Amino acid sequence: MENVGTHEDWKVCFSELAPGLVLFARQWVKSAADAEDVVQEAFVRFWRRNLSINNRALLYSAVRSAALDLIRRDNRRARREVEVFGEAERTVQPQFEQVDDSQRELVAALDHLPRDQREVLVMKIWNEFTFAEIGEALAISQNTAASRYRYALAALKKTFQPQ
Amino acid sequence: MSDFSELESELKKLRPAKPSGELIARVESALENAGEIAHKVVAPERFRINWFGLGLGLAAAATFLIFVRVDFRPTDKTKQTLASVTPSSQQRAAELPNYQATGLTQVVYSKRDEGLVFSPGTDAPARRVRTARRETLQWRDLRTGARLAVSYPTEETRLIPVSGQ
Repeated sequence: MENVGTHEDWKVCFSELAPGLVLFARQWVKSAADAEDVVQEAFVRFWRRNLSINNRALLYSAVRSAALDLIRRDNRRARREVEVFGEAERTVQPQFEQVDDSQRELVAALDHLPRDQREVLVMKIWNEFTFAEIGEALAISQNTAASRYRYALAALKKTFQPQ
Repeated sequence: MSDFSELESELKKLRPAKPSGELIARVESALENAGEIAHKVVAPERFRINWFGLGLGLAAAATFLIFVRVDFRPTDKTKQTLASVTPSSQQRAAELPNYQATGLTQVVYSKRDEGLVFSPGTDAPARRVRTARRETLQWRDLRTGARLAVSYPTEETRLIPVSGQ
C-alpha cells in the first residue's frame, strides 16, 4: 500500500485547510477577524461531529452556513453587510501573501466580481475543488458552477491583462 | 477554457494569507471546552427541547450501554490488552480483484484516558484508553483508473496494565 498518510492531530488538518477556509469565509464577512470566527465555529462544529475531513464540500458548506448565521445573529452587522452588498458587490478584500503591483491589479479586479462568481473562483483556484464539489457545497448544479467560473474569468480578463 | 489558462496561472500565483496564529489556539480551546460549555451555558434562543433528538440520543445511549456491557463481561476477551475495536474493512480490499489499494488516512478525533479499571477475572488494575478515529481507504482500478474510497468511524479501547509499584 503506497502513499499511506496518517494524521494524528487535528492541527495538521486544520493548518492545511485554514488559509483557504478563511479566504472563503471572507466572501461573506468583511473583516479577517470575523472570517476567523466563522472558520473556528464551522471547523469545531464539523470536527466534533466526526465527519470525514475528506468531505471538503460539507466543510465549506459549514463555513458558508456559519458565515450566514453570524450575519443573521447581528442585525446591525446584517444591515451593514446588506448595504455594502447592495451598493457595489465589493465586500471582500481578499488577503493574499506578498502581492506585487501586477498582482494588486488582479486582486482589485477580483474585488469587483459579483459574489456568486467570486465564491466559485475562490473554491476552484485556491481550494482546488472540482465543479461537482462546488455544486455540492453551494447547492447549485455542476453546470452552473462551471458557468459562473467562466463568467468570472471572462470578467477578469477584460480588466486584467497578464504581463 | 484554454484561453483562460494564462489568467488561471496568474491567479494561482496568489497565495491566501495565513490566518493568525491565535486562531489555532482558539480552535484548540473550543474543541476542549465546547462539551463543558454546552451544558453550563443556556442559550435562551436555542433552548428548545427536540423530542426526536432526545429520543434518538436515548436510543443511542442504550445501545452504547449494551455494547459496553458486552465488552466487559468476564470472558477471555477481557484478559487481552486490546479490549475492543471496530472491525476494519481493510480485509475487504483483498476481495476486489482489479483494484489496488492506494491510500489510507487515519484521523484521530479523540483519545481519552478513562482511568483505572479492574477487569473481571484479573487481579491487576489496568488503564483504559479509548480512541476514536475515522479511517478512509482508497483503491484504484488498474485497468480503468476508476477510484473507490470508503470512509468509516472506528473506536478502539485499550487496557494498559498498570504496575502497583
